[in-house]
Amino acid sequence: MRLSARTLERRFSVERLMLLLRNRLYDDVPAVAIGAAVVLGVNVLGLVLGRIAFFNSMSFGRSSPWVFTIVVAGLLRAGISLKGMHDGRAGTDWLLLPATGIEKYSAALLDIAVVFPLAATAASVGLSALLAFVEGLVGGPGNPVWLPGLEALKAWGGYAAAATVFIAGSASFRKSAFLKTGGLALAFSIVWSLALALLVMLFVDGAWGGGFSISNGRFSAGDDSVISRSALRFMRTAMDVALYAALPAFAVLFGAAKVVEKEAKDEVQ
Amino acid sequence: MISIDSLVFGYGATPVFDGLALRLERGKAYGLLGLNGAGKTSLLKLMAGALLPRSGSIEAFGRSPSRREAAALADTAFVPEDPWLPSVTPEAYIARYAAFRPAFDDALFERLRREFGIDEGKTISRLSYGQRKKFALAAALTSGARTVLLDEPTNGLDIPSKMQFRKILAEAISDEKVIVVSTHQVRDLESLIDPILIVDKGRLVFELDAETLGSKLASARSATLDGLEVVHAERDALGWNALVARRGRAEDAAPADIELLFNAALAEPGRLAAAIGDTELAPYAPEGRKS
Repeated sequence: MRLSARTLERRFSVERLMLLLRNRLYDDVPAVAIGAAVVLGVNVLGLVLGRIAFFNSMSFGRSSPWVFTIVVAGLLRAGISLKGMHDGRAGTDWLLLPATGIEKYSAALLDIAVVFPLAATAASVGLSALLAFVEGLVGGPGNPVWLPGLEALKAWGGYAAAATVFIAGSASFRKSAFLKTGGLALAFSIVWSLALALLVMLFVDGAWGGGFSISNGRFSAGDDSVISRSALRFMRTAMDVALYAALPAFAVLFGAAKVVEKEAKDEVQ
Repeated sequence: MISIDSLVFGYGATPVFDGLALRLERGKAYGLLGLNGAGKTSLLKLMAGALLPRSGSIEAFGRSPSRREAAALADTAFVPEDPWLPSVTPEAYIARYAAFRPAFDDALFERLRREFGIDEGKTISRLSYGQRKKFALAAALTSGARTVLLDEPTNGLDIPSKMQFRKILAEAISDEKVIVVSTHQVRDLESLIDPILIVDKGRLVFELDAETLGSKLASARSATLDGLEVVHAERDALGWNALVARRGRAEDAAPADIELLFNAALAEPGRLAAAIGDTELAPYAPEGRKS
């Protein structure tokens, strides 16, 4: 595929976006292959030692190891998704590749938030089926093949929201973007939770001293007798809107602004 | 063509260019000369769109590189002194990156790759410095870009590769393109670069075309400077190596040495301007010698 001269004249081009996405996927193949090999290795070890494929039999709380691995791998990739932009040498190439900064940023978003989880999920199902087959052959317990359901869909929602934050972090930080973004996100969530708790204590009758808990991204205050069902529902909705809409929207805009800002700076030498 | 007006650019508080103005015509290969830190690479990056001016304007073929529109970027090829290349084979590189350039000439690239002896099976990021340089030059010269900016293109090239590069660059010079070559290795390219741009302290101090050079200036090697209309001279083991005004000298006088010309532009700008302007030169008094 080659762009036409007419395509070049467009301020935003889907064709250029697709080419950028394609190139990103090509670039990611070695890292993804290594990740898949590690997962396979761990499971082969389980099959050899105990005739069991770990990933088909274990669970991390309510989550499958497959989902956990895809989320962690995706977020790690998100943390380095715009690394090339900051590089003293590769950065010049990044800037001068004939596509706009917004297209380059959009390609990273599409890749990390949509294409990677879909591709990794499909590959995981295949790998899980293979492992289940081998487990059956070696006389293992016959754990079922992992199939993504509602759990995976929910995890994707949280993952996509978090991915936008880590991509924005990658646009902001030159070094250790993943750790810095993770640290900032943790600090922000603590402040946000404390602020919510304070608001509840101040404005909800009987909440003072009623006991609070924050788990799984949700805020609970004692039982429903402390806070009315409607108030609790409102708070949970507010939390969901903040986590799944406001935060990703802010992260996407902030990341795009950082890419534009970066392009306007004289940093790349 | 490329036009630069009132260009102001700097790193931090230090200005590199303060009001630079320049016109580069298509069909020419400009040689950009200057001391280390004079701003040659910065100027190339400004023309490419990799750096943005603080004020002033740059326009290349009717577009501003500073806006980094895809069409402007596709119409520009910039080869840095030490080019970065991804970990892919030449074939994969072309498949991935040439796709963004509609005018990329695949057949010509393949020919240049063979002429430069670049291994098609090797990952380009693992090639030697010289090989990577040749790869980047081949990709730039076949990109179809009308603005071609080369930073120290002959650094790291072996002697046969320099000859090949000269041949290829000569082929690449066309009425459609503006080629700008920043170099300290002027002797590698003196037969190709015309005109010569000399920048110093953020200003364009001289722009000299081959015709002016040939008609106004010459080189002379002599044991003494007596009787010569010297613009600038340097002493070495064999005597004086001088840049002289050509007037009154035989037609077969040696052409002006570009390195001497460069040194003259920085050390004796007034005398050089006088020689070019056919003004009489004052007696020459080099350091350590009383005239």
